[in-house]
Amino acid sequence: MNKENAIEVRNMSKHFKVDYDKAHTLKEKLLFWNRGNTEVHEVLKDINLDIKKGETVALIGTNGSGKSTLLKLMTKIIFPNKGSIKTDGKLTSLLELGAGFHPDFTGRENIYFNASIFGLTRKQIEGRIKDIIEFSELGEFIDNPIRTYSSGMYMRLAFSVAINVDADILLIDEILAVGDQHFQEKCYAKLEELRDSGKTIVIVTHSLGVVKELCHRAIWIYKGEFKLDGDPTYVIGEYLKQVALDHKEQRIKNLQEGKQKEKGITFIDMPKDFASVKKSNHSMLCRGWAITDSSSASFKLVLDDTELSKIKRVCRKDVYDVYYEDFAGFMDENSIGWEYELPLEQLECGKHKLFARYILPNNEILEEKEVTFELTE
Amino acid sequence: MQIIKNICNYRELLKSNVKKDIRGRYKGSFLGVLWSFINPLLQVVVYWIVFPYLFRGAGIDNYLVYLITGIIPWNFFLVVITGGTTAIKGNAGIIKKVYFPREILLISQVLSGLVNFLISCVIILIFCIGTGEGVSIYLATLPLLALIQAILNLGLIFILGAINVYVQDIEHIVGFVLQMGFYATPVIYSLNMLPTSSLLYKLISLNPMTIIINAYRDAFLYQCWPNFLSLFGVLVFSLLVLVIGYFIFRKLEKGFAEVL
Repeated sequence: MNKENAIEVRNMSKHFKVDYDKAHTLKEKLLFWNRGNTEVHEVLKDINLDIKKGETVALIGTNGSGKSTLLKLMTKIIFPNKGSIKTDGKLTSLLELGAGFHPDFTGRENIYFNASIFGLTRKQIEGRIKDIIEFSELGEFIDNPIRTYSSGMYMRLAFSVAINVDADILLIDEILAVGDQHFQEKCYAKLEELRDSGKTIVIVTHSLGVVKELCHRAIWIYKGEFKLDGDPTYVIGEYLKQVALDHKEQRIKNLQEGKQKEKGITFIDMPKDFASVKKSNHSMLCRGWAITDSSSASFKLVLDDTELSKIKRVCRKDVYDVYYEDFAGFMDENSIGWEYELPLEQLECGKHKLFARYILPNNEILEEKEVTFELTE
Repeated sequence: MQIIKNICNYRELLKSNVKKDIRGRYKGSFLGVLWSFINPLLQVVVYWIVFPYLFRGAGIDNYLVYLITGIIPWNFFLVVITGGTTAIKGNAGIIKKVYFPREILLISQVLSGLVNFLISCVIILIFCIGTGEGVSIYLATLPLLALIQAILNLGLIFILGAINVYVQDIEHIVGFVLQMGFYATPVIYSLNMLPTSSLLYKLISLNPMTIIINAYRDAFLYQCWPNFLSLFGVLVFSLLVLVIGYFIFRKLEKGFAEVL
């Protein structure tokens, strides 16, 4: 093993056996002894990987791509079927919070239980217990039995123990979504501190923002195979492209099979509903955005009964960011938004309705948003 | 040697597990830890009242102390074996999520049983003194006896605990075998009640628990040295079980997280 490496994975494969209609009892086993329908499910295929000491690495990939399995293999909870995984240094995995907690014991006692599972000695725990209690912000509740804790308090305590465990290699599996905004920020700050102090961190997460901010490197696992490894921004970009592609394919397939209906979302930012507008303004800027996954629907802006033409499409990065997963592959960032300069001179005073619609070729309305505004002198 | 180093590193886990075992079991009840002593005492009372009616004239001297010196060591055996068989399955949650030497779960079962037993020995002593038997130098064999029994217990639960993960019928079988074992060991009766030539007598005297419990009685009640030769035999047997058990455990251990 290379001295510089904290984790070395070589030609490693892992499969699970999935039993269909498994014989569960002796009777079934005797009756159907050769009918067992076992399928080998290849979770990870021939993975090669080096993680250097002091690196912070993110594993990304869609659900079921095998990244959590890889983390479990690194922890030595499960073992590879082929190849090898070697680690160098004290390793702690935060796959689950609050392991070994006993509800009838106090928070303080449970700190000892939990920390001891991570392999700390009593002396080490005692040296750290003040930090842990302080970090958890539990105050005087620390001496109450944890069955009286709220779930938030429970998680805060568990996370505080986990994060204060002194390990050379830290494996973290999607557990950072704990507590309120304030506590989460604290957790990230702590992780940054650990990163800067030269610990090796491997993190599995779906929050890509975190990956970009925290990690030196991102590794993308795609359907059990090692796909890409490198600078987080680049890897995430490629990953999102693939996600968009897969999503679009899946979606189109579903639409064709009639499993899912086409959908669209339209929105009018301006004017506001029930706004009153002075005619002396001459014109009014109408703004909004519209997205759809239907290839045949067309966007129409309608004032009362007249369709408006020459609508300008504009870039709406904010909307794209929100919907990139739901509408992956169906959006063009630069034409999500729409704008229309509505001349007011020819309009009569009184109430008017503005519709933003997606219309299907058969004139059916897929999606509609309406706003009422009043024109005054 | 790796195992000893490993356990040394995780000694705090071992300690807290033992603590959780001893105090956690009865936490929330009014009498708390006292229950682990009240239980065998109540058992003793039951047999003490019932047994003389069943075997009228069986004539065991100081039957009360005879019972206690049998039941308390037997309970040590019973609690560790039943607890150890399900210990790994019962901790599936942490086994699937955290790495730690899995042996710890079983070793802590034995240790918490041992601690409980040693405290219970105080009760035996109280009864010894109370009934006029007194104490003697022969109690010096007590640590040795407890150690041999602990080794035997550990070896057995290495096997039973590991297999129970894969074949869960084990725990039911163990329940039955233990019940049978209770009668195959002279806990409530005396071996002298059986004809020496009978097969049953030979079988029961080969039972390692018979030899261990008789040795306890020698130390507490009869105040003489135990039969060191047969005790040595039990020690060798226990070590053999431990080695085989640990070997089986190591073989099966790798699949725990996947099977559970």
